[in-house]
Amino acid sequence: MQKGEMYVGWSTKEDVRKRGGSGGLVTSMLAAALEKKLVDAVVVLKKINEFEAVPIITSDVNEVLNSAGSLHSVPSHFAKLIANRNLKVALPAKGCDVRGIIEQGKRNAINLDNTFIVGLNCGGSMHPVVTREMLEVMYKIKPEDVHGEEIEKGKLIFETKDGKEHAITIDELEEKGFGRRESCRYCTIKVPNNSDIACGNWGVTGDLVGKATFVEINSEKGAKLLQNAVDAGYVQVQKPDEKGVAMRAKIKGVMEDLGKKWKGKVFVPIENGRLEYFRKELEHCIDCGACKTVCPTCSCGEVSKCTEYHSRGDAYKMSMYHLVRFLHLADACIGCGQCSDVCPVDIPLTRLYRRFANPVQEQLKYEPGMDMRKPPYFEVKLNE
Amino acid sequence: MSSEVAAASAPAAAKTDGWEPKIVAFCCNWCSYGGADSAGMGRFQQPASTRIIRVMCSGRIDPLHVFNAFLEGADAVLVTGCHIGDCHYVNGNDKTKIKYKYLENVVHELGIEKERLQLNWISASEGEKFANFIRDVTAQIKKLGPSPLKPEGVA
Repeated sequence: MQKGEMYVGWSTKEDVRKRGGSGGLVTSMLAAALEKKLVDAVVVLKKINEFEAVPIITSDVNEVLNSAGSLHSVPSHFAKLIANRNLKVALPAKGCDVRGIIEQGKRNAINLDNTFIVGLNCGGSMHPVVTREMLEVMYKIKPEDVHGEEIEKGKLIFETKDGKEHAITIDELEEKGFGRRESCRYCTIKVPNNSDIACGNWGVTGDLVGKATFVEINSEKGAKLLQNAVDAGYVQVQKPDEKGVAMRAKIKGVMEDLGKKWKGKVFVPIENGRLEYFRKELEHCIDCGACKTVCPTCSCGEVSKCTEYHSRGDAYKMSMYHLVRFLHLADACIGCGQCSDVCPVDIPLTRLYRRFANPVQEQLKYEPGMDMRKPPYFEVKLNE
Repeated sequence: MSSEVAAASAPAAAKTDGWEPKIVAFCCNWCSYGGADSAGMGRFQQPASTRIIRVMCSGRIDPLHVFNAFLEGADAVLVTGCHIGDCHYVNGNDKTKIKYKYLENVVHELGIEKERLQLNWISASEGEKFANFIRDVTAQIKKLGPSPLKPEGVA
């Protein structure tokens, strides 16, 4: 197996196949890596209920196998979880997770040589609180009755315990302010080719639909991970057909175009009164610092410029904390949406940060988290 | 900020016809500060609107300093240093240049007029250039009026 190759695969374990989405390939691959001592630990999601799960770092193979089953409403971010721990770890990651991990790698908080990143296709995730509200308002069903969920042909389908299916199109949901998180709508990294190995159901055709995972190997580490799982007998792979490869490219293109469209819709230029806009959005800030704590591209720690030079007592028209964050994120923001998710007073922080990041990153032709390129600030040539 | 200078020249009534803007100019020790000096020695007339802050190198100017100047009530902030290639510390001003790019973008996006933040390279012998620069900026800012970030009660 080599970089650039594509496969379609599934787990050999009946139980994992049944519970896991798309044939349970990722779960089995992670379990195999742990079993064969390729890694010391694996990050998996532990389900709390249908809407929430917590990420855990585990070295127990059974726990990994039991974690099978995917959730769409999990906005947690893995980059900070494994930062500064010096682990030899394999972990599944959405596009934004991958970008966060790479950014932490650039900041020497994660050793990327010891990290196997299994990228997952992601069309967007949903906030658990919003999902519950949506179920009551839009679907008219009790959140507790939900048994499973699926996204198919642009529709979000919830299955209740009595076996009934409730479907509403995602466009309709998003018009009403529900559905995917805002940052997911304008995200354009749907297939994480910046990971070691990109997996997902896009590109699986024919009888295998729903029973297999499409795998794209993006690095030597990724090839090693898959080869190990095949050798250990945990997964089975075969070459994909051409139709599948074409379909995968098509879905990717459609999703990315949709993301770009949303980007234009969300970031309407403000000609006048930008300062008033930012001040108004930030006026409820209670200075809790949660947005910085979760930020996957920040690795300053507790003592940092944004906190040390900011005081609640300042009678400034704008807080120094936010100004420094705006500046620091101008080249670093990956648009993962974590800050908006955790904000206790619901400031749309990601939208504010992206307003600064979009022009800077476009102008400098720099996309953080996509490769190992250092921020342009570090590219100043000496003596020239 | 040099508080006694600011206090001594603070006009009593702001936003009137006699309003003088307050401009914070960061000058590097080796070039633009010398430029300010030779402006004085050459008797080039310039408005008394600037408060000069001397730094050893323009590369020392952190965007944080600029934000702080604005938040404390500066109507404009000037970043000045040696010409590219003439830096006393070899490449300090190259670093200023790229830092300034970020800063400029953020300040503009924030909704502050682009005249309020300016970059200029001035050597120690360019006294006239320094005086002209200050005169131009002061005229521009007088047209714009006080900074929107000026705190309440600060002239």
